[in-house]
Amino acid sequence: MGERLNGDGVPGRRRAHPDGAMSDLREVRDAATVEPLLAAALRGGALDPEAEQRALTAFRAAHGAGAHHARTRRRDDWRPTAERRSRRPARVTFGVVFASLTLGGVAVAAIGSAGSSTDGADPSQGTAHPSAVTADQPGDEASPALSGPPAQADSSASAQETEAHCRAYEQVEDRGRAIDARAWQQLVAAAGGKDKVAAYCSEHPPGTSTAPGRSAGAGKPGGTGTGAAGNTGASHSGTSGDNPGGTNKGAGTGRTSADPGSGKHK
Amino acid sequence: MGQVRQPRRVQAYDGELEAAVARAQDGDETAFAVAYRIVQPGLLGYLRGLVGDDAEDVASDAWLEIARDLRRFRGDGAGFRGWTATIARHRALDHLRRQRVRPRAGGTEQDVLDLPATHSTHEQALESLSTERALELIRTLPRDQAEAVLLRVVVGLDGPAAARVLGKRPGAVRTAAHRGLKRLARQLGVGSETDRGVTDAACPTLGESK
Repeated sequence: MGERLNGDGVPGRRRAHPDGAMSDLREVRDAATVEPLLAAALRGGALDPEAEQRALTAFRAAHGAGAHHARTRRRDDWRPTAERRSRRPARVTFGVVFASLTLGGVAVAAIGSAGSSTDGADPSQGTAHPSAVTADQPGDEASPALSGPPAQADSSASAQETEAHCRAYEQVEDRGRAIDARAWQQLVAAAGGKDKVAAYCSEHPPGTSTAPGRSAGAGKPGGTGTGAAGNTGASHSGTSGDNPGGTNKGAGTGRTSADPGSGKHK
Repeated sequence: MGQVRQPRRVQAYDGELEAAVARAQDGDETAFAVAYRIVQPGLLGYLRGLVGDDAEDVASDAWLEIARDLRRFRGDGAGFRGWTATIARHRALDHLRRQRVRPRAGGTEQDVLDLPATHSTHEQALESLSTERALELIRTLPRDQAEAVLLRVVVGLDGPAAARVLGKRPGAVRTAAHRGLKRLARQLGVGSETDRGVTDAACPTLGESK
């Protein structure tokens, strides 16, 4: 096929013999052709000025409210990896232990999620927390459970678990795996109905983390997140951004979501 | 994940974006508008691929959250694009759940076979692609491929960033993007003859192209 090559003028397309190198080249070239077209087709079009106004209004509202205490959760930390990776406290080891305990289950977030992260004072500290355990202490870049008194297991237990479940739920969406039945029931109970789970999870803040490292819920460590060992690759070592008043953090309250400063986080 | 780190995909305005975001975090509204203008096209394009016509609505939801959480963000321009894409994606998924509709991508290739043929011989014949056509094609991809392609190509994220947005392993996302692009290329008639199948036989006018 393709004698048409004549008019073709594309060198290197020496027909046939798709050996590895050649086909790689072709692929690269094809992608290089397709990508700009796709990009232009989908990005194109004038922006709607009203939409921009709405965004600006939202900005004014958000910043007028004096929300100056914006804590950077792990999901908000998108610094280039080199920066993030700069410090890894020994806590990581705890993470490993916890990660193994949570195999297959929904995060045992109940255990002292509080995570005391020493930090407000140390903004750049990247704590790589064990993804598994964390269920991502919402808003808490805090450290692994062990740092704080596990105490909270009770009152906050359900809140934390729910978050973990929500996370699992969201992860499940992405990966098409079944969510743990028990976790699902808890979510349904918390949300007040099967149909409400999605809305509940989306409204319900906490660190629903999107980063790959986190699969506490849906997956066992080893999944993308590979648990603890601090998600090496993909990023994150949570930062404890500026944490004014370190509100909840650690100090024994282990309250996960509380984040008075910035109102709801999600 | 010890894989080879690819250079980040820096887009044209990432430097300006980073600066604008920093100023916006300090309260500068004009800077926020700048950031909006830089990011919105890619964001909207991505959302179109996910939710089609509802993209603008979902984008509005996303910007509400972006504005609200702006001060939490830390990172550079590329990071901001990743962060906003993640937020947008969540809003899109919520939107889809509320509607109990499946995300658009994920159709079968059958859909494409019915489209009028384009010049199948070479790249030069493809000068542009309409938005509708692009969306139709994206929709023929399995969802993971569609998203991987959209994030890489439309939002301009590199492998690790796209993987983070999707909550998947970088290798998987890379593969998905690869396959998705390859498929799209084939459907657009771009690519080596050897890649194409039976359709080639029917290929009409050649020759004059160029």
